[in-house]
Amino acid sequence: MDAIRQARVAFYLTGSRPVAELEPVEGLHFGPALLARYRDLGSLRHDFPAVLLAGAEAAVGVRPLSGLIDDALKEVAHGEAGERISQHALRFETLLRRAVAGGARGSLRALWTETARQAGADEDEQLRDSLDRIIDAFDVDGELADCDAELPPQLFSHVWQQIQHEKARRLASSVARLVHRVSNILRADFARSTEGRSADSLKASIGGVDAEAIDFDAMSRVLRRTANRTTITEERRRRLEQLASALQSYDFEPQAFRFTSCSRALAAWRERFPMLIDVARAIAMAELEIAGDYREDRHDAFFADYGADGLSPEDISMFADYLVCVNAATMDAQEQAALMEILSSGLPIKILVQTDDILEDALQGSARRGFGRSAPHFANMAVGLTDVYVLQATASHLLSCTGRIADGIAYPGTALFSVFSGATGFSADLPPYMVAAAAVESRAFPVFSYDPSAGADLASRFSVASNPQPEGDWPLHEFSYEDEERRKVSASIAFTFVDFAALDERYARHLARVPHAQWDDAMIPVGEALEAQTEDPPDRVPCLLMVDRQDQLQKVLVDEKLLREARRCREAWHSLQELGGIHNSYAEQVLAEERQARRPGPPQEGEAPPEAVPEAAVPATGEGAAVEAEPEPEPSPDEAYIETPRCTTCNECTEINDKMFAYNDNRQAYIADLDAGTYAQMVEAAESCQVSIIHPGKPRDPDEPGLEELVERAEPFL
Amino acid sequence: MAAAASHCLLRLYEERHELEDYQSGVPRWCTGCGDNAILAAVQRLCRDEQLRPEKTVFVSGIGCSSRFPHYMKTYGFHGIHGRALPVAEGIRMARKDLHVFVNTGDGDCCSIGAAHWVHAIRYNMNMTVFLHDNQIYGLTKMQVSPTSPKGLRSNTTPRGAFLEAMQPLTVTLGVQNVSFVAQAVDWIPELLYDIVSAAYKHRGFSFIRIVQRCPEWLPNLFEPWLHDPERVRLLHHEDGLEVSPTLARVYRNQEHHDPSDIDRAREIASCIDPIPVGILYRNPEVPCYEDLRETDHLRTNEFIKSGLEAEFDKFTVWPSA
Ligand SMILES: Cc1ncc(C[n+]2csc(CCOP(=O)(O)OP(=O)(O)O)c2C)c(N)n1
Ligand code: SF4
Ligand SMILES: [Mg+2]
Repeated sequence: MDAIRQARVAFYLTGSRPVAELEPVEGLHFGPALLARYRDLGSLRHDFPAVLLAGAEAAVGVRPLSGLIDDALKEVAHGEAGERISQHALRFETLLRRAVAGGARGSLRALWTETARQAGADEDEQLRDSLDRIIDAFDVDGELADCDAELPPQLFSHVWQQIQHEKARRLASSVARLVHRVSNILRADFARSTEGRSADSLKASIGGVDAEAIDFDAMSRVLRRTANRTTITEERRRRLEQLASALQSYDFEPQAFRFTSCSRALAAWRERFPMLIDVARAIAMAELEIAGDYREDRHDAFFADYGADGLSPEDISMFADYLVCVNAATMDAQEQAALMEILSSGLPIKILVQTDDILEDALQGSARRGFGRSAPHFANMAVGLTDVYVLQATASHLLSCTGRIADGIAYPGTALFSVFSGATGFSADLPPYMVAAAAVESRAFPVFSYDPSAGADLASRFSVASNPQPEGDWPLHEFSYEDEERRKVSASIAFTFVDFAALDERYARHLARVPHAQWDDAMIPVGEALEAQTEDPPDRVPCLLMVDRQDQLQKVLVDEKLLREARRCREAWHSLQELGGIHNSYAEQVLAEERQARRPGPPQEGEAPPEAVPEAAVPATGEGAAVEAEPEPEPSPDEAYIETPRCTTCNECTEINDKMFAYNDNRQAYIADLDAGTYAQMVEAAESCQVSIIHPGKPRDPDEPGLEELVERAEPFL
Repeated sequence: MAAAASHCLLRLYEERHELEDYQSGVPRWCTGCGDNAILAAVQRLCRDEQLRPEKTVFVSGIGCSSRFPHYMKTYGFHGIHGRALPVAEGIRMARKDLHVFVNTGDGDCCSIGAAHWVHAIRYNMNMTVFLHDNQIYGLTKMQVSPTSPKGLRSNTTPRGAFLEAMQPLTVTLGVQNVSFVAQAVDWIPELLYDIVSAAYKHRGFSFIRIVQRCPEWLPNLFEPWLHDPERVRLLHHEDGLEVSPTLARVYRNQEHHDPSDIDRAREIASCIDPIPVGILYRNPEVPCYEDLRETDHLRTNEFIKSGLEAEFDKFTVWPSA
């Protein structure tokens, strides 16, 4: 092994650079080759800046500026001026993006006007015209936000507020309805009372000039006499009055339910809980009262200890959700305990845990306070609690997750949002958006969601689908460059955890630049090295493709510690993949066994192909086929009987003799007592029955007068 | 967490209502009048569905048949001649929690109330409507009605009615938004009940024309149909009525008719003899007017008052200052 190789292996194993040929990368401003194209983010159209749309009507409360401009262009960029307007708009969008990236904030319209002025729109008539047409086409406005450390709390508060606004509106309207109907009961009762029919009340109910034309004293005297005496009980009246006031005691003031500490949120919830019970109880009671279902003997006791064991999720979901925005780095032990308590409580508290640095101390293992690097694992653990809504995402991906953010906030239970902002402070001049996006791309901070309300199994609840190429270990990308002879070279390379770590200054010590002259085949891409078995001592060493500020390709060696970190990251990703139904190890095992079992072997003795099962004979009931009559035992013509199901309740027979003929539960006649009347009555009934369903049978008393004639008359009805 | 079921449990309404619990007073109808059969079928429905009397309302116009609400121990509104439907619509609009039934006669519905009838079909509000069609004005003692057969001698047509009878089924099936049309005869109680029950279960304007006998003024009118089962044609279908074997034994004239087929329904509707009995048409997709007009706005006194004031102001002559 030559000296250079030895030095490389030494670096790989120890991280120290024994020879000058392995240069430190600190200060060289190298970036992963795959990110080279994205260096000037300001010129690229992407999700940011975003507009947090004002007004409760907005279904999706956030839109990328680029999306709004596209919509506006569709509306106004037509005809002769179309091309000009489009170009102005897109160039102006870049200006706005750079302004926001440079720290400018404010509403879209305000910033638009200001930036337009700076861009010289006052002097350039055409530019002004283009920009005016675009802004006129916007039917929305809202604060502009960039992807930075401020974004997560700003965005979550925004979505949360919109949902609370709608909830408040719904609760207020249902409370108003209940109060209205409860007071209607009281008002109706008053109108029927003696007092309600006094001359004064009557006069007040008419009012106006006509009041002079009526003698209310006389009217009152008449009405009091005919007054309905059944008024509601004193007890019920008191109950209704209390209900009306309890219903109105809840104040839905969303701003009061936003916190920056878990323990404070929890304390506030507990303090307020008795009031929620009162309101929920009042709502349940009022619903019963209005439906006329309230029964004192049963309901008084039930409502006396309503809410003693907590409230039902249906009850709780009527009220405001609490929002807690915390930063993982500043959470002390007490906060962490409060967070755990909330997560296992099922309370409608929505927690945003923001992490700005997920590489902190990764290789040192020193114990600093806060969750820091454990944040991603924390979200995984919350999934294990089974009834917490969990969303993990980076700031760069938040806009594409607004639907899920809204779902989590609206979820009738606890929600945990774990967000990595990308604002690490250790990535030189790289914008947080790039760091955050790289964290997703490299599986360092994958996007996933777990929605307990989406179904009963993991397949419906858990999703990793928003990650790039979710079925792979790492996303693969086509990378092309020109070599010294200006020939185009293309390669498919993986974006791994090492690329992500290479963005961070603190990881520079795990990298070493190899001068171009020394590039050789023993340097293999990181993706390949990660797949290979670890050998000792390694034959080939992993290297990362990077580019410098001049867009020159560089190859950088990676040490074993960093590679090991990358493997750990891949393990964690694998377990997320499995939860998301990708490469499920159980399923793959079963599949392998099944394949083994199905492999064709010699036919076993006694094994015969299954016989064809004859198709069940289907009765042929064609179109228009009549419903077939079932034969039924004929009743004897000697016995009197009625075809009861055919009786039309015409009262003919019961009027002849209501002891002999009676109605059953369905008001249809049957013979109740044969001995309760004469054969003459029986025959008369048979004759008057219009549907002829009374069959008189044979006479029972041979001595009844006129039998001969009666038997003759009965003949047609036997 | 508290029992989420508490709300449902609380609502369990323990009282059970028997048929007699729906009966009020003694019907003043003649012995043998077909209205008795309709009353029995409707009371059976109320019992079987356990309709709460205080959540049920019967609305009628004027006529023998319109006395129906008096005999039901529920809420009732014995209205004015021809106006049962508008009253019922108002009730439905204001109180969606009530079960609304309408009893109307052939004079009440097809004569003086015809305009309301046509529009009620189009509004398709959720209610069950019984047209007690005895083909005569019963209460006022035998005047011709729009559904009286041509040639019928009555107090107003002593030389016989001049016009062909109106067919309530074809009229109903011709109106936009029709959603449920059925025909029953009072003398087959089993089918009468089944049809009443299907009509009740349909959400929308369920219209049943019931061929009803008036033994007082037209004692023999339906005699031929009563005694010849072949002159009744039963409409049956998996999505309509299923006829019991016992009934099938008596009534062998049957047709397999799909209630979603409006064209065939219209053909069947124009058939007078044999009398078709069953569900002619049903379309659960037609929207109900009360749903279309649903609003969050509470009808508080203030709201109503301000609306009225605004309306009055349009006609107020303000004294010049
Ligand atoms: C406005 C008005 N016009 C006329 C009458 C007289 N009137 C009472 S009942 C009736 C006809 C009822 O016939 P129908 O609706 O068929 O009821 P039936 O008695 O046959 O059940 C008439 C015209 C009335 N009560 N009010
Ligand atoms: S007059 Fe006719 S419709 Fe009226 S109650 Fe008598 S039988 Fe019935
Ligand atoms: Mg009539």
